[in-house]
Amino acid sequence: MPAVRADKLYKIFGRRPGKAVDLLADGRHRDEIKHLNVTAAVIDVSFEVQPGEIFVVMGLSGSGKSTLIRMLNGLLPPTAGTVEVDGTDITALPKAGLRKLRSEKISMVFQHFALFPHRTVLDNAAYGLEVRGVAKDERHAKAREALALVGLEGWEAKVPGQLSGGMQQRVGLARALAADTDIILMDEAFSALDPLIRRDMQSQLLELQARLGKTIIFITHDLNEAMRLGDRICVLRDGRVAQIGTAEEILNDPANDYVAQFVEDVDRTRVLTASSVMEAPIPVIDPDKGPRAALRTMRDNQTVSAFVVRRNRQLVGAVREDVIGAAVRDNVKELDSLIDTDLARVHPDTPVADLFGQAAESPYPLAVVDDADRFVGVIPRVTLLAALAPTTGSDTGADSGTGAEPAADGGTAPAGAPPAAPPPDGPPAPEAAADTATDTAAEGSR
Amino acid sequence: MSATTLTVTVPRVPVGDTFDAAINWLRANFEPVFDFVGMVIDLCVETLFHLFAMTSATQFTLIAAAVVGGALLVRRHRVPTLVAVAVWAGFYVAELAGGLVATAISSLPAPLFLWAMNLFGSSYVYPPLVLALLLLAALVAIAFAVGRDRRLWIIAAVSPVVLLAVLALHFIAGVQLSLLVAPLLVLLALFVAGWRVALFSALGFLLIISMEKWDNAMSSLALILVATVVAVAVSLPIGILAAQNDRVSAVVKPVLDFMQTLPAFVYLLPAIAFFSIGTVPGVIATVIFAMPPGVRLTELGIRQVDKELVEAGEAFGAPDSQILRRIQLPLALATIMAGVNQIIMLSLSMVVIAGMVGAGGLGNDVYTGIAQGNVPVGFEGGIAVVVLAIFLDRLTGAVTRFSPAARAQRAAA
Repeated sequence: MPAVRADKLYKIFGRRPGKAVDLLADGRHRDEIKHLNVTAAVIDVSFEVQPGEIFVVMGLSGSGKSTLIRMLNGLLPPTAGTVEVDGTDITALPKAGLRKLRSEKISMVFQHFALFPHRTVLDNAAYGLEVRGVAKDERHAKAREALALVGLEGWEAKVPGQLSGGMQQRVGLARALAADTDIILMDEAFSALDPLIRRDMQSQLLELQARLGKTIIFITHDLNEAMRLGDRICVLRDGRVAQIGTAEEILNDPANDYVAQFVEDVDRTRVLTASSVMEAPIPVIDPDKGPRAALRTMRDNQTVSAFVVRRNRQLVGAVREDVIGAAVRDNVKELDSLIDTDLARVHPDTPVADLFGQAAESPYPLAVVDDADRFVGVIPRVTLLAALAPTTGSDTGADSGTGAEPAADGGTAPAGAPPAAPPPDGPPAPEAAADTATDTAAEGSR
Repeated sequence: MSATTLTVTVPRVPVGDTFDAAINWLRANFEPVFDFVGMVIDLCVETLFHLFAMTSATQFTLIAAAVVGGALLVRRHRVPTLVAVAVWAGFYVAELAGGLVATAISSLPAPLFLWAMNLFGSSYVYPPLVLALLLLAALVAIAFAVGRDRRLWIIAAVSPVVLLAVLALHFIAGVQLSLLVAPLLVLLALFVAGWRVALFSALGFLLIISMEKWDNAMSSLALILVATVVAVAVSLPIGILAAQNDRVSAVVKPVLDFMQTLPAFVYLLPAIAFFSIGTVPGVIATVIFAMPPGVRLTELGIRQVDKELVEAGEAFGAPDSQILRRIQLPLALATIMAGVNQIIMLSLSMVVIAGMVGAGGLGNDVYTGIAQGNVPVGFEGGIAVVVLAIFLDRLTGAVTRFSPAARAQRAAA
């Protein structure tokens, strides 16, 4: 069961919303119904968010994302369509039921923090529990825990005005965490922070999410942020869904020109990971074979170096053609002494941006080694460069992703976050991305 | 040569007559209501005036008890304090109803009271005074028993000492009451608003006393306080409603405009009609004249609270009443207090008009000055009004400092 499910959501502000919904459902643009004197903020939006997922809604200002998030917890009633939270249709709930749902299942973090200036940091963090009627000692204990989680021990007695912006938003986050709801809505939560602090907060959020497994719906207008945080991203344009997919799907296979234009300026090196650019490791050499066999393998494949890999795919090291050639001339029988074991190894989830330094220093291609220490692929320097080129007009093959890895870096995204089925009228399914993957990298990693 | 006349006959709309008829109809049908309201207001003003200008020993004692009790309540020692007050109230009612305490006192051995009676030169023991003294003793005992706070101890120790000093000075040494009440008001200003205001108040009150306007000033003060309490009690709920509901706001605004622009003298017409002359029509006219800024500033204050904060309350599932009490009102308090301040200032400006209908006090002096061409009396009355105005303005302005929002703001600065 999805944690949150939105089905054909509409939000129209104005006098006669019913007629506007009909027209918009026919596919009219919202500018075409201006004569009705209505503002269509959200049009026909459907998606499902799985438990434990970070679902990012991205769009420019006026694209309806703030309206959308406020319909998910019933702050705004939708004009048409339904919102289900844990299987309950919240649009049908009475006021009291809606309040109960908000206090027990969904908490929210706000763009401008929305901390109560007249309450201490501790009382702010405890607010959700206070509303629920939890006794003072207990709620303060929980609030202290939540503040410790976000690294604010020792600030409990201060008031929000005494804290910096980043710390204030940590309190906002602690308030949502202390409420102990499974779902957290974050409305442009980091947009008001300066870039360095924003990066910190993003890392912290990913870390907390990995630890606590909350379902997070995150609103942002910053594509880089969306790519960094989102297991899946929903791009909104003029109130409609332009595309829903993983960061790499959106980057490599934009559904339309709008999304393509949008992702043009994205720092691809931060979104793409080692696993999405790596190539199949050919050739590999068995460590039990002699130098002569190794030299032949390399000459057959016309390379100057090769990786030495055991049968169980354990990486031993690498050898260079000139070294082996000399050894063969000297009639050395054992390969062991010739293997260079001091190699640069990278994890499949490492963002491409972090690979350049190592690639520059290493005489070999970078070896990609997974958690189980298995050798899954290589990244030659030329592949790294190709990854930087945008998809349009290039067919290097290196940058078409595997379509299966979330873009979150650092390996903090939960392994089980499943890509949910896209809505009926949604963007292309993940298979489409897989189809275009022409290189052998994906196969090589399996 | 016959000139055609262009005179158009405009029908006479009987606005004034209708108003008069409405007043008469109301008087005929709701007289008991007006009588009751008038009686309550009159009683309140009288009591307050007696408290300020003819303070009895019992009242002094109760004030001291209120100071200690207030200090206890602020430090959250609610249960013992409220128990003590409840016991006192119970005995007081029993005394009023059946003379219970008087009976108890007369059954006790006489020497217990004789020395005090001799000291104060009184011929009988006044039971409410005994009760008040017992309440004060109980509260002081509680303060020393449960309090952990040195300031609380100081307050608990100083209050009875000051009380005894005041009682001794007035009832034994015969110092005038005005010279004792004025320092207490100065003390209040010192605690609430700081030494500058206290210094000004001391000088101002001395001036009033030397002009022999003290009793009149206290009479006006009583009238103003009652009018202010009524005006706040009426304007606060209206302001809250107007802030929450645009339709109420749309209705209330023109009514307030009407109330503010209608010449103040015109209020006196219905006020006199309903309540005849005296203090009550003065209070009523003052309330109507002073109320609008209270409503406006309450509405403004609540509407000014950051929408995101209210939304945060909603997002965590807080009911509307809780959002109002815990978020909107505390954050709007500074603006609301500015409204209260305005109410007090406008009440003061109505004092003279109230004096015209026989409300007495400083207004009466000014009115006499105008009517009889008696410049000294009129001018002195006016000066006394100004002193009172500045005292009350600074005091209410400073009260805002104690709100949580203001404290947080200071901490953040």
